[in-house]
Amino acid sequence: MRIHLAIPSAVVVFTAAVGVTYFASPAPGAHASSLGTGASTTPTTIPVSHNRSQVASGKTLFIANCSTCHGTNAQGSAYAPNLVGLGAATIDFWVGTGRMPLPFPTAQAPEKKPLFSASQRHAIVSYVTSLGKGGPGIPNVQLKGANVATGEQLFSLNCAGCHTIAGVGDALSAGYYAPSLYPATSTQVAEAMRTGPGNMPRFGPQDITPQQLNDVVAYVHRYIQHPVDRGGLGLGHVGPVAEGFVAFLVGIGSLLLLSYWIGEPAEKRESHGAGA
Amino acid sequence: MITQKIDERVNWLDDRLGVQKWARKSLNKIFPDHWSFMIGEIALYSFAILILTGIFLTFFYSPSTAQVIYHGPYKPLDGQKMSAAYESSVALSFTVRAGLLMRQMHHWAADVFIGAIVVHMCRIFFTGAFRRPRELNWMIGVMMLFLSIANGFLGYSLPDDLVSGTGIRIAFSIVLSIPVVGSYLAFFLFDGNYPGTQIIPRFFILHVLLLPAAIAALIGAHLAIMWHQKHTQFRGNGATERNVVGSVLWPTYAFKTLGFFFLTTAVLALLAGFFQINPIWQYGPYVPYHVSYAVQPDWYMGWLDGALRIMPAWEITAFHHMVPNVFFPAVLFPGLTFMLFYFWPFIEDHFTKESVTDHNLLDLPRDNPVRTAIGWGVLTFYFLLFAASATDVIANTFSISLNLVLWSFRFMVVIVPPIAGWIAYRVAKEMQTWQDAGSRKRATIIVRSADGAYLTEEAEPRPGDRAHLLPPAEVPEESLAPAVAAHVGGAGPETVSPGQVGVTGAALGGAGRPASGGGVKRAKRDHRPSGLGGMLDSLRPRRPRD
Repeated sequence: MRIHLAIPSAVVVFTAAVGVTYFASPAPGAHASSLGTGASTTPTTIPVSHNRSQVASGKTLFIANCSTCHGTNAQGSAYAPNLVGLGAATIDFWVGTGRMPLPFPTAQAPEKKPLFSASQRHAIVSYVTSLGKGGPGIPNVQLKGANVATGEQLFSLNCAGCHTIAGVGDALSAGYYAPSLYPATSTQVAEAMRTGPGNMPRFGPQDITPQQLNDVVAYVHRYIQHPVDRGGLGLGHVGPVAEGFVAFLVGIGSLLLLSYWIGEPAEKRESHGAGA
Repeated sequence: MITQKIDERVNWLDDRLGVQKWARKSLNKIFPDHWSFMIGEIALYSFAILILTGIFLTFFYSPSTAQVIYHGPYKPLDGQKMSAAYESSVALSFTVRAGLLMRQMHHWAADVFIGAIVVHMCRIFFTGAFRRPRELNWMIGVMMLFLSIANGFLGYSLPDDLVSGTGIRIAFSIVLSIPVVGSYLAFFLFDGNYPGTQIIPRFFILHVLLLPAAIAALIGAHLAIMWHQKHTQFRGNGATERNVVGSVLWPTYAFKTLGFFFLTTAVLALLAGFFQINPIWQYGPYVPYHVSYAVQPDWYMGWLDGALRIMPAWEITAFHHMVPNVFFPAVLFPGLTFMLFYFWPFIEDHFTKESVTDHNLLDLPRDNPVRTAIGWGVLTFYFLLFAASATDVIANTFSISLNLVLWSFRFMVVIVPPIAGWIAYRVAKEMQTWQDAGSRKRATIIVRSADGAYLTEEAEPRPGDRAHLLPPAEVPEESLAPAVAAHVGGAGPETVSPGQVGVTGAALGGAGRPASGGGVKRAKRDHRPSGLGGMLDSLRPRRPRD
């Protein structure tokens, strides 16, 4: 009697599946963003204070943790570049994302848990920038009033080529890679754009205006890091390879099991029927 | 009375067309019960779902590259210029009721459809079901595989998002790479240089009309030929070259297959509801000078993408002209692939000369180790190419150099398939010798005689013993319903093993039916465990042994 049960239960499962998934979909426009003119009366960078005690504690930290490679006066060595005049954004980015200090040299410094607290990081930034002027400052990101549509266009043009359009990152050649954008803070995304760490190109104010910078960061923050997955599980946002595995393992796999369930019922029926 | 009226009408029709005889014969058609015969139905029902959901999508999709401005709930696209095709696809996903569910169901159905074709083809290949008289149906199947892959690519391209646009760009380059005619052909297809404005409407009409019609026609031919030639079957259970053992179409098989249609639909609906596929709004509109990294085609095109990726940068010249490098992995290689698949029955027959007789009984993979080895090697080769389409994903996931991954695949596609084939050959050879491993054998009693000699005696068979099956013997003709006996082409006697129960007219729905209503011919079978173990176990031979 398996067949008699199979069809109604299949119909029920199908109907339930359609119903549940339809009503489970989030309402359109769940992620709204206000379109507005971000009047840039606010300063575009965050100023770095150079008070004496902060510089001094920054120097102590630098000597202890950075000078082995970068030299005691941040002048660089055979192993590491000169840091004088690189600007606050560069130092803040590399230290803030945990890429520095680097325990051992690799093709690309990996992101990890930052070694320093925020105040320690500010001290190091303060010390290194006190050694020489120049370089981009830490961007003052203003997400309010940013235009995510402009951000999407700029992201598609400038960032998707390495970080992928979904921002999950991917491998580049010879051990280099474009990292995932998911763990980056808004300030770190802006710093990376302004300074071009590693293989990444540098986008100065002539390429990307402060307002456009805010637009891209807003898009990354609101839509890359929190994608609108109204279709269900995002499958890592790596595209058709993951989808193909799901199609085979979940789709074909379950259908094969179901075909086994529904196929060859006769011998069981027969064993029941033998007594009847 | 109404029934009387209906009877009159039916009789009227029957007098003129003889439908009753035909219907009776058709309804009594025997279908094998083995679960692996349902794989083709996964493909068939996925195709039905593709048609149904596809019709829904055409109500809302606009096949045009005309530039429009999007205004809708997805803010990152709000105010952006894009093609009407992309705009309507996004609107379909956000504002049309159940639109996204239908779109995702369509896409998952496509992935499962082609996947089921491949798995079905594997079953046909490894069991030798393509041999005489079924060479034509194999060739039709290969044609359907080709058309399905092509149609999948066309459908994938229609939303005109950033990722699929890159795919069309690659397709244009592939057409360009064909020697002599490439540039003419590409400009003919795209109505000028890339991207043009014609490609989306042209892909649309190919995708929704020409290729589905061709596939539907081939499905018709496929099923008609199968109907005419009848099913193949595994050995054992009284099956011979001249009969078909299984369930009758009506009512047993019809309800079974209808239930399976609902189950397939349910699985596709669940996939569409819980697993996001191709979220085009996250990809943005296609702009020819924008590109996203990590772009792959859908899985069924993956082997082509992988071949393109691992092709070394050789510059090959012929007749003093350089043949574009892309031509070899993207045109020549798939061409040879489909030619090999298409003509495989004749290639095999060239060596085995098996086509002197019909083959309605299936081989098990172990029965023909050479074929199994070739098939397994070929499968491994194409799986490696598929994996090579994800070189970047592999490198990124496992934090290894992309170059290392690429070079590994270049060597692996050459080295691994022969090794895999050889292993398959050895396993097949081994399995020929331990068919009954894991099951209880009929016990043998060793007796010591008075003068010290040892003799063996076979014990009485116990329930669950595997090796007590006896070869099939004749069953008297009169014990079978005439309609059923006619099914075997009129010549072959029905067979069941002695000591086993041959059942006629019993089982589901058959109890109250007259004997002429077609019986379920069935021989009792040794017990098999259920679950996954049983599924694998059911691949074991059920060949009577002596």
